Parts: sequence; structure tokens; C-alpha cells
Amino acid sequence: MASHGKSIALVVLAVCAVSALLGAAAPAAAQPKVGVLMPLSGKGASYGAHQQVAIKMFQEKGDALRLVIYDTRGENTDAINLTRKLIGSDQVVAIVGPLFSGESEVTFPVAVQGKTPIITPTSAKPGIAAANRPWAFRNALTSDKLDGALIDRWLAAHPGIKKVVILLDTKDAVSKSDGSVVLPAALKSRGITVLDSISFQTGDIDYSAQVTKAKSLNPDGVVVAALYNEGANVVREVRKQGMTQPIVAGLGVMDPRFIELAGPAAEGVMTVNDFWTDNPDPAVARWVADYKKRSPTPPSNAAALMYDTLDIVRTCAEKSALSGKPDDLEKDRERMRDCLAKVKDYKAPVTGATTFDANGDAVRQPVVLVVRQGKFESVR
Amino acid sequence: MLLQQLVNGLMLGSTYALIAIGYALIFGVLGLVHLAHGEVFMMGALIGLQLVLWLHAGPAVALVGALLGTAVLGMIIELTAFRPIRARHGPVFAPMVSTIGVGLILQEVATKVFGGEQVGFPHRLEPVTWRVGPITISSVQLLILGVSVALMVALHLWVTRTRMGMAMRASAESTLTARLLGISTDRVILVTFAVASALAGAAGVLVGLSFNAISPFMGIDMGVKGLAIMLLGGLGNIYGAMVGGLLLGAVEVLSVAYLASSYRDAFVFAVMILILLFRPQGLFGVGHIR
Repeated sequence: MASHGKSIALVVLAVCAVSALLGAAAPAAAQPKVGVLMPLSGKGASYGAHQQVAIKMFQEKGDALRLVIYDTRGENTDAINLTRKLIGSDQVVAIVGPLFSGESEVTFPVAVQGKTPIITPTSAKPGIAAANRPWAFRNALTSDKLDGALIDRWLAAHPGIKKVVILLDTKDAVSKSDGSVVLPAALKSRGITVLDSISFQTGDIDYSAQVTKAKSLNPDGVVVAALYNEGANVVREVRKQGMTQPIVAGLGVMDPRFIELAGPAAEGVMTVNDFWTDNPDPAVARWVADYKKRSPTPPSNAAALMYDTLDIVRTCAEKSALSGKPDDLEKDRERMRDCLAKVKDYKAPVTGATTFDANGDAVRQPVVLVVRQGKFESVR
Repeated sequence: MLLQQLVNGLMLGSTYALIAIGYALIFGVLGLVHLAHGEVFMMGALIGLQLVLWLHAGPAVALVGALLGTAVLGMIIELTAFRPIRARHGPVFAPMVSTIGVGLILQEVATKVFGGEQVGFPHRLEPVTWRVGPITISSVQLLILGVSVALMVALHLWVTRTRMGMAMRASAESTLTARLLGISTDRVILVTFAVASALAGAAGVLVGLSFNAISPFMGIDMGVKGLAIMLLGGLGNIYGAMVGGLLLGAVEVLSVAYLASSYRDAFVFAVMILILLFRPQGLFGVGHIR
């Protein structure tokens, strides 16, 4: 799939070369080069597939940015190497990505060193952008901004919950931070007892022992912090062993694959994200309808945020009067950075009013979702 | 809870055993480790899944299809990765290296054809669960247990009661002597590969049905564990592989239940190392396909 990204880049390059030969008036500065890092294979490939649809929709709206797309396979080492490549040899003015918190944690310092603005559309583990000022940004709510709203809704829907068990993936960065720090804090501050935190790892296939252990503690509710594959299998095992307690899950499960894999077991699972799938706002509804024409599954958080991140980057590229000359690359990168730092009440096309706070993190209204009849529905 | 955990361990362990037996069979006749065995297991799961998706078939068809499909695959591996090197009197361990290559090829082909995403069997095959006293048991778990036991008994009878089984034991004892006595050792080796691979294929379908996590990479961990179990039970000892599989399945599940679950594999391998320290020949001694 990396070759697909490369071939897009090649086509774009070829078009540029032809237009240059024909003496077309388009100056180089009209098309700033922007790198994109996402998982097109391996861990999280389904998130990446959704982002790809969003990128295609963005590109069809205009060719304001020249995108150089690379597949990180969800691997930290790949993400680091590709970031270096984007900064050093592709000479991009900004990088959109990577998707995972684990990847963001290791690539942000590389971008800071290379003095290139980097903006992840999705990573949600608190503190990652803050540690890499002033070059790192993220167009996603960190999980500490999401989980409060999620737990409030969940407890409102199931008032009997007093004690819970947390099942968490300790190998995935955001699930680990969510399940071991952010969710327990949100639960405890609302008077809920956490009986135990039971861990598993990305890629595990047998969750029977963990679920049996959780069952023996007899909780009122089950909290899951995992990505969609593992989350789906945990939820499935929970129902298989006859536990009927309500389930709430961190934002990692927010992907249509979660429902596909978990099947009926996904019913009633509550989660949270940045994107209101059935937002009646006509512009968003149009975007969702257009998306559904291109994809068998409805858009996910990852797709919506990718689209909006590209939109923000394009706006900044247009506003910052980039020179586009190789000698001015450093200046151009600084201009992009300063523009991103000033994003305030920006009307993002899909996820709505967005502000980047002093930490470089997005601030917007979180949306709580529940699975009903095989679909994510927002709880308003 | 302990009872339920032991049931969980038994289920996991019996699939481990099926994989480990395959390693033991091949090691028994060739004295070599087949490092693509985990990938054969993965292909079994994928073949079973495709049959279910295309033919809207049930688990039985998936199981039989996977058994046959991986048996053929196993024979192809023997004919392409082992036999040519043996025929040319290549270095003794060269076939092991060539099976690493076979494993990578199978992984890549599976990724290209079926995609790198984790997939599961359709939900209509969702198991029925029963509650027996304090434990919950599902139809898939009974299927795993039934099929594993049936395959192990069948294997035992085949090895001890048939002429082919006898020929295999003779070849395991000494390939040279067996050949001098008129046994076509090449044919024996081919059949051994077919049987070993079929067992792994069946394990693939069983794991797919019960854990719903089929991907081109599912064979990597399982392959390593199967290998460890073979070592634990005694190199090339099929009964050792059976017992070792159940033992490690139980250790793994109990370590999750009562110790730290992030270290399940560490416990499994620690137990293996401990046992080998005291019994270097493995629990049941080396190479008894007798």
C-alpha cells in the first residue's frame, strides 16, 4: 500500500512537471508539500483505510496541497524513519500524522529536532504535544477531555453502577494511559470503585482467563480500554461467558470494524470521540452522505479528523504566504507553525469549532456514542 | 473461578497440543524443525474461513476443508523446501532455513490475498453456551475438545496400528535402516508432513472459531509456542507434545488469572526453562514415536 501512496505522489509530481513544461502559470508556492503518515497495513489498518477515503475526498475538492503519503504500519520505528524522510528528503512544510499515540510520542521529538510542524489528527494520550512545544499539535481531543463526558453519560444511563472492573491493553500507548490513569481518575471522582484492572496485550487472541477473572469479581459494569480488534474480542468474550453488565469503552474502539467483529455483543457499548456521526448540520450530513458513497461503512472518527486536519493545514498554508523556494523552507515551516498555534474557533468542516490550546491540543465538544442495532449512534 | 480457568486452559492447551504434535511428528522422522509450521496453522484458519464465507458452510466443512488443504500444503512444503536439499545432500540444517523462507512467503501471500486485517468467522457460527454449575462451557469449546481428542486418538492408532505408522516409526528410528529394509522413506516423510500439517490446519480452524481473531500473523506466536511445547514434552515425542500442550495452556491461563497478565508468555517460557533445567530430555524423553 505504501507504493499506492508513492504512486499518488508520483502522479502529482508528473502533473507538476508537465504543467511546468507547458509554462503553466502556477507558481511553486501554490502547492506546498505536506507529508501524511498513516497505517495502511498492519496494526490499525482499518483506521488508515478510512483516512484514505477522507484524503481522496479532500483532494477532489482542490489540489491546494501536494500530499506525500507514507504507510507507517502502526509501527513506531517505521513512523520515526518516515518522519525523517519527510523532513530531510521530501522537504515538506508540515506533517499530518501519525495516527497512534505510541507513534506520536516517538515522532514528535524528531519533528521538533527537524523544526517542522507536525500535527496528528487522532492521537489521544494526554501530554504528548505539550512535551514537544512549539512544533507539535494535534487535532484530537485528549482522552482526559473525552472520558469525563463519557463516564457521565454512562452512569446516567445505568444509575446502579457502583463498582467496575477495567480491562486494558497495556501494549497500546493510548489504551494503557486511558485504562490505567485517565478512566480510573474519571471513575473515582464520581464515586465509583475500581475493583481491579486486568491487562492484556495488542495481538492477544485468548481473553477467556481475563474475563473469567473479571466475572469472579462480580462488578456492576465493565470498562474496556483497547483498540477495535482487541476491544471487539474482549466484549465478545464478556458476553460469551454470560456477563450481562453494561460496557463502556475508550475511544480506541471507535471504528466500524469493532461492531463487525463483535457482532451482537457490541450492542449497548458506549464510547466517545470528536465526531458526531449523525450531526444534522447540512454541511456535515452532506459530507457523511458523500463518504458513504465511497465506503461500505460509515465514516469514523479517524476519517473525520483526517479531513479536518488537512483542511486546517490548507487554510494555514494559504494564509501564511509561503514562499515555496527551497532556501526559504525553514521560514515556511516557521510560518506554518505560527499559524497552527493561532487556530482559534476555526470552523472545521466536519467536527465543528476547533481551537488549539497552549499545549497544542484541540479543544471542541466531545460526542458520546452508543452501539444500537449495529451502528454507532450519538447520545445527546 | 479456578474450575472455569482450568476449562479455559484446557481449551487453549488442546489447540497448542495439536500444533506441537505436528512439530514432534516431523522432528521424529527428519530430526529437523519445520519453522513454517505456524504459518501452516494460519493457512488452515484462513482456508476454513473462506469455505465458510463462500459456501455458507458450517464448522464441519471448514474443519475438513482445512485438514485437506493444509495436508496438501504440507506435502508441497516437503517437496519444495525439504526434499530438494535432502536429495542434493545439502547441509543438514539447510532445510530449516528454507522453511523460514516458506513461512515468510505464506505470510506475505496471505496478506496480499486476504488483507492484513484481523477477521473472524460470521456471527451465525456464534457458539451456544451452557452453564454447568459454576462453569460456563460453549459449543465451540466442546468442539475443540472433541476434535482434539479424536485427532489425538486417531493419530495414536495410526502410529501404532497401521503399516504406514509402523513404517514411520521405523524411519524415525533410523532412516538408513528403514530404507535398507525396503521402506520408501521419501513416501513416509511426505505422509508425515501431510498428517502433521493437517493437525495444524485443524488447530487453525478451532482457534479461529473460538477466539475469532484470524490474521496472516496469527501463526507467529502459535508457532513459537508449539515449538516450545515440543521441546518441553521431549523432542519428537508426540505424547509429550499432547501433555506439554495441555500443561502450558493451563500455566498460561492460570498466570493471567492469579499473577500479572501482561507477562503470560514470560511465565510460559519460564516454566519451560525450569522443566528443561531439571529434565533436559523433556518430560517424556526424546524421540519416542515407538
